[in-house]
Amino acid sequence: MEIERIRALRERALRELAEASTQEQLATWHARYLGRRGEITLLLRGLGSLAPEERPMIGRAANDLKEELQQAYVRQETAVRERELAARIAAETIDVTLPGRTPRIGTLHPVTQMIRDVTNIFAHLGFQVVEGPEVEYGYYAFDALNIPPEHPARDVWDTIFIESEHEEIVLRPHTSPMQIRVMERRQPPIRVVVPGRCYRYEAVDATHEWHFHQIEGLAVDERITMADLKGTLAEFARQLFGRERRVRFRCDFFPFVEPGVDFAIDCMFCRGEGCRVCGDSGWIEILGAGMVHPQVLRNVGYDPERYTGWAFGMGVERLVMLTYGVPDIRYFYQGDLRFLQQFDRIVP
Amino acid sequence: MKVPMRWLRELVATDLSADQLAERLTLAGLEVENIERIGAHWDNIFVGVVERVEPHPNADRLVLATVNAGIHRLTVVTGAPNIATGQKVALALAGAKLYDGHSAEPKLVTLKPATIRGIRSEGMVCSEKELGLSDEHEGILVLDADAPIGLPLRDYLGDEVLDLAITPNRVDAFSIVGIAREVAALTGAPLRLPDLASLEGPGDPSLVTVEATDLCARFVAVALEGIQVGPSPWWLRRRLQLAGFRSINNVVDVTNYVMVEWGQPQHAFDRNRLRGGRLVVRRAHPGEELETLDHVRRSLSSEMLVIADTERAVGIAGVMGGLESEITEETRAVLLETANFDMRSIRRTARTLRLRTEASARFERGLDPNLGWVAACRAVYLLTQLIPTCRVVAVFDHYPSPRRPRRIDLDRNELPRLLGVDFPDSDVEAVFHRLGFTTQIRQQGGRTIWTVEVPTYRSDVTIAADLVEEVARIIGYDTLPETLPVGRTVPVEIDPELRLIRQLQNGLVAAGLHEVITYPMVDDAALRALSTHGDVVPERLGWYRRPVEDFVRARNPIRPEWSIMRPSLVPTLLQNAAEQLKFNDVVAIFETGKVYVPRGRDELPDERRAVGCLLAGMDAPRDLYHQPRPVDFFDLKGVVETVLARLGARDLTFRPLTHPTLQPGRTAEILLRDRSIGILGEVLVTVAERFGIPWHHRVVVAEFDLPTLLEIGLEPVTIRPLSRYQPIEQDFAVVVDEGVPAADVAAAIEAGAGPLAVVVRLFDVYRGPAIPEGKKSLAFRVVLSAPDRAVSDEELQRIRDRIEQQVRRRVKGALRR
Ligand SMILES: [Zn+2]
Repeated sequence: MEIERIRALRERALRELAEASTQEQLATWHARYLGRRGEITLLLRGLGSLAPEERPMIGRAANDLKEELQQAYVRQETAVRERELAARIAAETIDVTLPGRTPRIGTLHPVTQMIRDVTNIFAHLGFQVVEGPEVEYGYYAFDALNIPPEHPARDVWDTIFIESEHEEIVLRPHTSPMQIRVMERRQPPIRVVVPGRCYRYEAVDATHEWHFHQIEGLAVDERITMADLKGTLAEFARQLFGRERRVRFRCDFFPFVEPGVDFAIDCMFCRGEGCRVCGDSGWIEILGAGMVHPQVLRNVGYDPERYTGWAFGMGVERLVMLTYGVPDIRYFYQGDLRFLQQFDRIVP
Repeated sequence: MKVPMRWLRELVATDLSADQLAERLTLAGLEVENIERIGAHWDNIFVGVVERVEPHPNADRLVLATVNAGIHRLTVVTGAPNIATGQKVALALAGAKLYDGHSAEPKLVTLKPATIRGIRSEGMVCSEKELGLSDEHEGILVLDADAPIGLPLRDYLGDEVLDLAITPNRVDAFSIVGIAREVAALTGAPLRLPDLASLEGPGDPSLVTVEATDLCARFVAVALEGIQVGPSPWWLRRRLQLAGFRSINNVVDVTNYVMVEWGQPQHAFDRNRLRGGRLVVRRAHPGEELETLDHVRRSLSSEMLVIADTERAVGIAGVMGGLESEITEETRAVLLETANFDMRSIRRTARTLRLRTEASARFERGLDPNLGWVAACRAVYLLTQLIPTCRVVAVFDHYPSPRRPRRIDLDRNELPRLLGVDFPDSDVEAVFHRLGFTTQIRQQGGRTIWTVEVPTYRSDVTIAADLVEEVARIIGYDTLPETLPVGRTVPVEIDPELRLIRQLQNGLVAAGLHEVITYPMVDDAALRALSTHGDVVPERLGWYRRPVEDFVRARNPIRPEWSIMRPSLVPTLLQNAAEQLKFNDVVAIFETGKVYVPRGRDELPDERRAVGCLLAGMDAPRDLYHQPRPVDFFDLKGVVETVLARLGARDLTFRPLTHPTLQPGRTAEILLRDRSIGILGEVLVTVAERFGIPWHHRVVVAEFDLPTLLEIGLEPVTIRPLSRYQPIEQDFAVVVDEGVPAADVAAAIEAGAGPLAVVVRLFDVYRGPAIPEGKKSLAFRVVLSAPDRAVSDEELQRIRDRIEQQVRRRVKGALRR
């Protein structure tokens, strides 16, 4: 009698289990049969009311059934989950070539990027980054740098002047006035790099801007030599333009240095063979430099017999143009996002 | 400075090619910018003599010329009007490459035999244009009578011309002789200076009176007679042409030739056209005028030095001669001026007159007065060579204080001290000797001193460091080793303002803004455009205030619209945005530039670092996932709050602000600990329109002053310990009057919630039927968490009560149930 009931229960449970095709139905089935108030649970709990002689046989049958249903349940559940997963995979296939949702990230201006790249290199070589005024006294812009009034050398810097009464005030045509300001404020040893805006009274074309950026460098101490200048600039050029770069020092003239230097690297576009970028020379001029002129040292109260130093100055836009092949300097300050957005690198 | 190689090689016998020399000169500081190769393509062109000219049987304007060029002898058909028997000409054979004489653009064509009006022509006699020498195509080129028949034209006329950029210090190198000296020093090749006439001075004091002795260190005058003015011989014309000069006549050409050769300008006057036949060197009289050689009448001022005769100015000293006394075909007597003028005076005069000439360019650099005599001797030599009847009748030399060679003491140790490398004494001495410097060595107090005597033409070498450069550049900068500085290290500090700028740039880029750099100059019109009605420069310019003094103004602006150093970033950002909106729907930009606050005339302005941000157009481009909407105040407010918080400006408050540029009701002053650090607002459409931004675009700007931000001080990040207990999230809807700022309600909730509130976030603003007219409901989510316990129900109830209380007291609000 009881055995019959168990058998019927078993058949019903297994049949319903086989019909449960979703996880939800499975959960319902589980609650009905194996849950805390499930039929099997109740059956086992009801064993106590049976006659003692029936108990062992019915008990075993009930326990067997429970075991069997549990195993069947696990099998069915596994099958249902696999089927559901397969269905989901089939349903959710996407076109992975569709565009991603792009986070909106801006860009640093290429001039800022280059100033960071250059000053980072020099910072690791022990140079401090400082900045200085763009509106500057003529004394700092010229006189203290050994460029006297009415001197033909002064023509090189076509200058924008600021309205004033007695003092000559200019928009600095180079970052070199900061050599004087730094040396006036401090005592050697000095190692600084000075990025900043400069201005010249100059017609604008593809390679000339009236508003541009320079980076000045200055090292003053006892025992600072021109060989150190060459080594430092070579290291800088190789960090910026690649370890394989060859460097060239040639004689040049700037009133505030002696000896004066023009520093060039071998052309990375033609590897020194000669091309349009390097004007067929195989060399690209990167910056002007030299040993600080003794008169400049005297102008700031340094003893030129005790201290030596060197200075260099480079045009930032030119470095960007060389590095990225920018064809026209006017791109920088037209503020065209179509240009700026191309510099989408993450800058260290 | 153009240096023809044939001319140079006459003065210095070097084996090096033009390319090799260019390389050596460039490395030594005389940069060769270009090498022009003349006749490089002249294959199959020879020097020939015209043996016979006959009429063409079938054409009136053509002739048949028989030309003998050694092994080649042929008859050619030509239309050249100037051809004549006995002329030396350039004969081109078939296969020669010539420029098309009739083409306006230079076009090389290969010569082929042709039949012209029935007569076969196997070659051609060439014009200057066909050879690429000039644009002359009227007739054929006639060579000098001594041109060797049969010589390839390239060997006779071809040349290479070095084009040098001379640095302002090297006036000595502004001449063929100077370059020759340099080549001799660099290569050790012997120098052979040009032949000179010998003159006797000082001679006739009545020839010249130097009144302005302060501006004229030397004046050599040579009076010549028996002059016959005519064209110069071919070689002289050719050399001048290669050096970039036009041939005028033999007398003028000689003065130019000497200037190119020696660097010393000269001027030849027609002596018969000088009143009194003599010269006076003086300052111009007030109101004096002179018509110069270029046919321009010029007013002179009393600072200008002139050369005059007894009555009037006949030349502007060192700049240009006068037209009336110029050399003409009638000239029979010449007064040749070779002078040395004050460089500053010449420079000022040339600038004032806007008249830069070959002469003034040389005088401005400070010529060696000793050159005056040599150049006069050279000119006389050439004139007597060219004009056999020419003779010197008088010589004058004003040179009261002759310049002597400079002696410079060089501590021998200076070479390694400056260069970081040393050279053997013998090498150093050889350099000096090759440069024409002499040396004497002595011991002094344990040091070795070299006394170096420098010729007067090297006026640039004045101190020991100059001598070090001479040694280094002649031996070669390429011999310097590469080392890194030794010695004391300097601790590298980071300037707080520069660090803050970097952080701001990084933050704003992360927030999606693009950095721009704009020209930091504006004009009055751009500043007026910032005012509500566009009529006056407003009192408030961005965050900044209009200064009491005038703005920082350029005296010689490049363009009128760049005449004032900007007092705020806002106008240049608006100009920039107007440009951007032409190409982009989405404009999100910032600049970390300076603004320039005047501090009075003769004082440098206060250059303050500012940050300006601007959003315009749409919030983001339309794409698969995003439907764009116009930007507004809150887009930029979010950027500002987020970025500034990350710099350590955590408790910003925003206060409604009236600003001339910005839209009332959508503008705020930004405060940090009750001090204003910036402004933020939507630009009035009328203002934006004045900058060229169309009416339908919304433009939001913000501007901050970094020094103020640093002055107030930024807070470091503080870390709250993590709680192990589940936080409680509770929503509070507060009903307040419409005019109550949300920030005040949030402050009331924060005050009520106390320290357990880790987040108070406004998530909804509701107006509608559920609440009374004139009121709004603000819904806040408050997250409560205690570090050491779960927040209990009783605690929660107390917090609810306190929030209710605070809201009632502070903003007259009620909690909605
Ligand atoms: Zn190249």
